[in-house]
Amino acid sequence: MAEARRAAGDVRPLVEFRLARLRGRSRRVAWVAGVVVVVSTLAAATAPAFVSSAAESAAARDVKVLLPTAYLAFLLTTTLAIIAAAGGRELLPRAHGISFPISPTTDHLGALMLAPLNIAWILQAWSLMGVTAYVVAPSSLWTAQLSTLGWIFFATAFGQLVAWCVEWLRRLPGGVHVVRAVGALLVAGAVVLVMTGRVTDLLDRSPVVSLVLAALAGGSDPGAWALGTAALLACGLLAVAAGACVAHAVARRQPREEMYADVAVVASRVNPRSELQALVRLDRASVWRSVALRRGFAVLALMPGAIAAAGRLEWAMLPVLPGLVAAGGALLFGVNAWALDGVGALWRDSLPVRPQLVFAARVWVLGEVLLIATALTLVVAGLRAEGLPTSAELAAPVATLVVVSLQVVARSMHWSVRRPFAMDLTSARATPAPPLAMVGYSAHLALTSTLTGMVFSTTAQADGPRWALLLAVPFVLAAVRRLLITSREWATPEVHGRVIATVASR
Amino acid sequence: MSAPAIDVRALRVQFGAVEALRRLDLSVPPGGATALVGRNGAGKSTTMRVLAGVVPPTDGEAFVDGHDLRRDALLAKRASGYCPDVGGLVPRATPWEHLQLAARLRRLEPGWERGARDLLERFDLGAAANRVTSGFSHGMARRMSVVLAAFHRPRVLLLDEPFDGVDPLGAEATLQVITDARNCGAAVLVSTHLLELAVAACDEAVVLRGGVVVGAAPAQELGGEAGARTYRSMLA
Repeated sequence: MAEARRAAGDVRPLVEFRLARLRGRSRRVAWVAGVVVVVSTLAAATAPAFVSSAAESAAARDVKVLLPTAYLAFLLTTTLAIIAAAGGRELLPRAHGISFPISPTTDHLGALMLAPLNIAWILQAWSLMGVTAYVVAPSSLWTAQLSTLGWIFFATAFGQLVAWCVEWLRRLPGGVHVVRAVGALLVAGAVVLVMTGRVTDLLDRSPVVSLVLAALAGGSDPGAWALGTAALLACGLLAVAAGACVAHAVARRQPREEMYADVAVVASRVNPRSELQALVRLDRASVWRSVALRRGFAVLALMPGAIAAAGRLEWAMLPVLPGLVAAGGALLFGVNAWALDGVGALWRDSLPVRPQLVFAARVWVLGEVLLIATALTLVVAGLRAEGLPTSAELAAPVATLVVVSLQVVARSMHWSVRRPFAMDLTSARATPAPPLAMVGYSAHLALTSTLTGMVFSTTAQADGPRWALLLAVPFVLAAVRRLLITSREWATPEVHGRVIATVASR
Repeated sequence: MSAPAIDVRALRVQFGAVEALRRLDLSVPPGGATALVGRNGAGKSTTMRVLAGVVPPTDGEAFVDGHDLRRDALLAKRASGYCPDVGGLVPRATPWEHLQLAARLRRLEPGWERGARDLLERFDLGAAANRVTSGFSHGMARRMSVVLAAFHRPRVLLLDEPFDGVDPLGAEATLQVITDARNCGAAVLVSTHLLELAVAACDEAVVLRGGVVVGAAPAQELGGEAGARTYRSMLA
């Protein structure tokens, strides 16, 4: 117990250490972002309740029916996100923390604390609170929102616990194959449920339904509400404690997949035929041989498409998907693209090659990663989209795919040149930028690419594909212009000298 | 007398408020080897990075094989080979992939592979040629960085801390690379904290302190106990 208290006490100095690295403009931006998040959370939790007669409306009744599904979706996506991140984010990157006695409990609590620093988590939490506020009477608002907060806490703690369990399994001999097999079985089971139309039955029988009903009954049945909310908090605390135990078990085992990746032998290939091919080949190797990037890509390329397929999204709605996937793809490494070279950046920069060609190779590799992920998503989502698409419905997602991929690449390369970070991407828990910067990047990318997707979804209703194609032209030109400007900036010796010195530092 | 292969005049490099180099002068003739020595933060690695074309000079002039680094950085890079002080290897690429990239960008003639393999064997890295470098030990990474700097037989060889953490056999192989390069007429600049190896590898030694040259002497004069005392007096 004393050890647990000590480990919990270590979280604070580590957080302070991270925050101390925020200086000048970054500190001001972090403060403003913090205020925006708090105000937005309060608005999401209260404003919908004061929509005139919302709670009694037919729309509110429809939303109420879907509320348990929304609660479950939050649990599922939070869990998957932490699993994909091999146990979530680290308060101190492994390379930096290696000389400090950081307990696995501290690491676990830090990962829990950092879980909300993820735009998908934040948006879903806001949605849950907003939807809950919409369906309850103003008099029951605070009790219902307390239960919602209880659910958010429980879901995050439970997701963290499951992620540690998966990570422990992965680190056993043959564990990687076991995890993949279990994942495939779960996906196959979900496909069967969807194809046989038994998803609704299953959702109706979920214990989440009674929890949600208890949460909404705050005003009329205080006893049930208090019991339900207390149960949520107790389960959440239990998950936190169990997560700490499993985190210790995980820390006692070697990360096999990462270790194998470190000593992997790769058959040599014929010499590259051109400078561009040589550069692209090395950049591709840096992406596809990284455990973190491979895992992130697999989740990103398949999950949104699978959810869309399960929900039988209409063709007209498909243009919204590429933006979300491209934004997620850029967050794997694109927002700090030069960090791919790590400590090898200094040597690479000493090679005789025009900086513009190096830039073009990085753009090519980032672009192809995003295009493959978004194309896979659209193919999976299209498998179960309703009916056959019209030419306009087909042109809209394809045009969006090209546009948002280019937009995201252009924006990511701009950030990579303007704000490089020294990040070690060898760990499966690594992110290309510090947590707060990642929140800013993800918010920006999610907002712009979703808006672009929504604009393009209107062209799906047109009488032909030409509107989608015509609309794509200005977007493509704007992105290409931004890329050219950034490429020129990168070619300036002072700029790329600063970027290289930063990403190569340890 | 031939023109210096490395020629630095009144070089100044500033990072924000920090002045890393203050009017540094340095020259190394073809076939010559100079050791850059000095305490941490003296400006040795910054000098190397400027000469490798990685960091642009703030002021002053720097020429590599006659190419002005401000105007012809690409030509200067073609003439040089650089072993950086940290890492130097792309984590998820293999040594052979590093060599293939460098060979392509340096437009090496077909047949370069044989020399590269020989060098890998000399540095005891032949068996690891197709292994990703993220699992390399510090010493292996250092040795590989020297291979990458030297395999194309550059006219200017820049080795920043090439002996750091390297075993005696690796250090011998590095000394042999320096000798071979000099015999081919290349200019060699070696930055190191290991005075005895600097004496063994070079004929001149330049002592840096606070971004300026505080002393220069034949390397032999810094050898042994007497040399170490001379060196310490320059650092004080």
